[in-house]
Amino acid sequence: MKQHPLCSDCEDKITPMDLPIPGGLKKEWAACESRRQFLGRSGKVLGWAALASLFGDVSLHYRAFASGPKREAASLGNSLGLPHFAPKAKRAIYLFMSGAPPQVDLFDYKPNLAAQFNNDMPASVRGNQQLTGMTAGQARFPVAPAHWPFRQQGQTGTWITDLLPYTARMVDDLTFIKSTNTDAINHEPAIMLMNTGNMNAGKPCLGAWLAYGLGSMNDNLPTFVVLQTKTNPKENNQPVSSRLWSSGFLSSEFSGVGLRSVGDPVLYLEDPAGVNHEIRRKMLDAVEEINRQTLAEVGDPETNSRIAQYEMAFRMQSSVPELTDLSKEPQSTWDLYGPEAKEAGTFAYNCLLARRMAERGVRFTQIYKRGWDVHDNVVGNLPVLCQETDRGCYALVTDLKRRGLLDDTLVIWAGEFGRTVYSQGGLSQDNYGRDHHPRCFTVWMAGAGVRPGVAYGETDEYSYNVVRDPVHVRDFNATILHCLGVDHNKFTYQFQGLDQKLTSPVPAFVVKGILA
Amino acid sequence: MSATAKVASRVAELWQKLRQDRLLSLGSAATGVVILLALLFFPLDGRAHADWLQFFGRFHPLLVHLPIGLIVLWPLLEIMGTRRSSLREAAGLVLYLALATCLVSLLFGLLLAYGSGESGTTVTRHMRGGIVLALELILCVAVRSTLLEINHSRAYFVLLTAVLLTLAWTAHQGGSLTHGSGYLTKYMPPTIKRLVAPSAVSSHPNSFFSKHIYPALDTKCVACHGTNKEQGGLRLDSFESLMAGGKDGIVIAPRNPDDSLLLKKVTLPPSDPHFMPAEGRTPLTPEEITRIRAWVLAGASSEASSVPGIFIAGDLEEPPPPVGDYSALIGEIRQMQQSQGAKLVPVSAKLSDGLILRTTDIAASFDDAQLAKFQRFAPFIVDAELGRTALTDSSVETLVQFKNLRALHLEDTALTGRSLGKLTSLSQLTYLNLSATKVTRDALAPLKSMPNLRHLYLFNTPAESASSDSGVRSTQ
Repeated sequence: MKQHPLCSDCEDKITPMDLPIPGGLKKEWAACESRRQFLGRSGKVLGWAALASLFGDVSLHYRAFASGPKREAASLGNSLGLPHFAPKAKRAIYLFMSGAPPQVDLFDYKPNLAAQFNNDMPASVRGNQQLTGMTAGQARFPVAPAHWPFRQQGQTGTWITDLLPYTARMVDDLTFIKSTNTDAINHEPAIMLMNTGNMNAGKPCLGAWLAYGLGSMNDNLPTFVVLQTKTNPKENNQPVSSRLWSSGFLSSEFSGVGLRSVGDPVLYLEDPAGVNHEIRRKMLDAVEEINRQTLAEVGDPETNSRIAQYEMAFRMQSSVPELTDLSKEPQSTWDLYGPEAKEAGTFAYNCLLARRMAERGVRFTQIYKRGWDVHDNVVGNLPVLCQETDRGCYALVTDLKRRGLLDDTLVIWAGEFGRTVYSQGGLSQDNYGRDHHPRCFTVWMAGAGVRPGVAYGETDEYSYNVVRDPVHVRDFNATILHCLGVDHNKFTYQFQGLDQKLTSPVPAFVVKGILA
Repeated sequence: MSATAKVASRVAELWQKLRQDRLLSLGSAATGVVILLALLFFPLDGRAHADWLQFFGRFHPLLVHLPIGLIVLWPLLEIMGTRRSSLREAAGLVLYLALATCLVSLLFGLLLAYGSGESGTTVTRHMRGGIVLALELILCVAVRSTLLEINHSRAYFVLLTAVLLTLAWTAHQGGSLTHGSGYLTKYMPPTIKRLVAPSAVSSHPNSFFSKHIYPALDTKCVACHGTNKEQGGLRLDSFESLMAGGKDGIVIAPRNPDDSLLLKKVTLPPSDPHFMPAEGRTPLTPEEITRIRAWVLAGASSEASSVPGIFIAGDLEEPPPPVGDYSALIGEIRQMQQSQGAKLVPVSAKLSDGLILRTTDIAASFDDAQLAKFQRFAPFIVDAELGRTALTDSSVETLVQFKNLRALHLEDTALTGRSLGKLTSLSQLTYLNLSATKVTRDALAPLKSMPNLRHLYLFNTPAESASSDSGVRSTQ
């Protein structure tokens, strides 16, 4: 049977390119048309033609006008017209506490709970909420008050646990949101929702959106860097995967670049033995040439990203060693961050790197610290977790502040959800556990764009339900974007027939009450 | 014929008589003038008098709007009267009515002031304004009815203008009495405000006290504790007098809100006889009380620009002025963006927000000569990121031309601060980062004259070690 000439997998290997059509046209096709793009565009062309005929001259006139000088002005910054308004923050540092820190033990002070020790939490508080498989089978839900005392700190008199003595020193600089809440009750969907605005993988994360929208401030370093803290095997470490810093449907050059915590920060960055810098450059030039040919032939935009990434890697050969060389840090740095900061991969070390990246124009740095998933032995694990992170957080904010960087840097501290007030497993005087809790958790921000010394939102006396000013994860992300000069509703990318945005199609609102 | 009609006809009869008898009218006018002139020196002794005086006096704010309306109507009728003579006649009637109501409300005003014991400068001004207004109206009547034989139309016009000006001034004094002196200017756009009222409040116009404590006191307290009245020997119309306290001692105990008499009094239950503001005046809002408490807790400073834990949405810095139009340079800027080297990046999609000079990627090789190349763009640059560059002191000369500069990053450069004094001409500069440079305390001295410079960073400099604070003069 003779195959149709347009069928690409026919035996005779006839492709559309073999058809007798003008060479120029073939070239144009090859440059920009994949099958999908062709089909998509022909559909649109028909639609637009129909619309144009409906509107007559008016719409055409309008379009011609719209592409006048105003458009040109917008493209001075970038083609997206971002930032939408003058931003308070140029960059952000996100300290991600993976596993979900227990808000009841750290920030959400509930003095009345002590008297409720081991009482059953009233069923009315929980309502008809579905629990995780880990506690759904429990016969009772005994209230476990925080094991450590709270104290008022700073000029603002903010209540905070004794477990965070360093954070306590800077409460006046922090903005707490005690009413953050999320839709997911398990780690993976919740952490995806927190980072990408969607529980399902495949959407770009906050850092990727920012890299795409705001672009780089230093061509020699990645726009979006992810630092992972070395795990402590004694802690309950939930996995953290590269999905969390993926660029999703955006071009892959916007995904986070992970710096390794052990060994070389970036693998294979150094020139191999016997290859000098010049040869390396020549080799990269040749690779680029080949890539460009591929691009001309196939027209896959991913080829462009690949070219950009090779170039970035080449420039990082000199910029990354300079970034991670801490030998010139003055003694005051070590006094602030503590001796732990000298050891690569610790939280304090990552905080110091984050400060150095802020100085060098990295737009978005995300530090992951795992292990906060304290289902049991809170009394044993929580002090260790706090001790690992407390000084780093304090040192980072303080260091940024004294160097004048906090004026244009936003620091964010958050986990993916909160933890229950009732004990998971047995409750004793000495120990308890806490299960996942999506209805409320505490996060903090500091620096450019937010009001210092504020506690926003309120939970009920069991730290279970939000009673005032709820802040959904979407609102939280919208607020972060706002601090960086981005209107989350206008910042969209067309994919799968939707104007996709970080805050999902569900309405989200900037938390005005915490803005500076 | 009904009784009222009878009375009316009798009044009209008398009126006719008065109008016709020139001597009588001149005499009554002169008497009025003499009485009013005497009243100009009416002593307000600052003590409260019989209650019935105040009872009637309190109708003064009600009555006073009648002559105001009439006085405004009268010139309109005069002007329109040039076309239709009937309107001109009406103007005469309105003028008489204005004079009559003016005298009545003047009387009630005197009753109010004398009865309640108000005696401050504003009250006195208001009173004298009212009296002068009445005098001018009498003169107007005299001129209009050709009692006085002077150049009729010109004198009349001058008097008319004088009446309107006096009215505006007197009414403003009265408004200040009831609403507080900052009532009109409170929500004025800041740019106009600077022109109209160059912050007479205090020497620190941007302090938390001037912006948030003083206005609350001014509207709610100063009516009785100010220039008009000094109840309890306490004046609250300036920082100094607030801190000095009154007969019962100090009213503000810095860092100790619970011992501060002022806070105690305003937080009493409203039914308490000692509750302030007294006499049913508008109480302080919970928000105002919170601000005062936080301000006292933070040390009750007249200079601090912020108080921990308190943030006011309207407290946002006024938007910086637009940098002007640089669309002609866009092509060049874009070309620069695409090549290696320092770049100019717009702050936002709004061009008038200005440009950022970004040197991060090539900082080490960015020197004085390179900066000089940006002179053409100087007025449009609002943020110069020059940290870690190879700039030296001589670049300050160039930077002086960056007139709209709001943020200047010079950290980690070879600057010694020798010529920093020249930066004082950058009136918009709010942020200056000199961390890790060699600037000394002395080199910084000239910067003190820059009112907008709120964020000065001196971390890791000789200047820092000489001072006790952590390198930040004041943050946020």
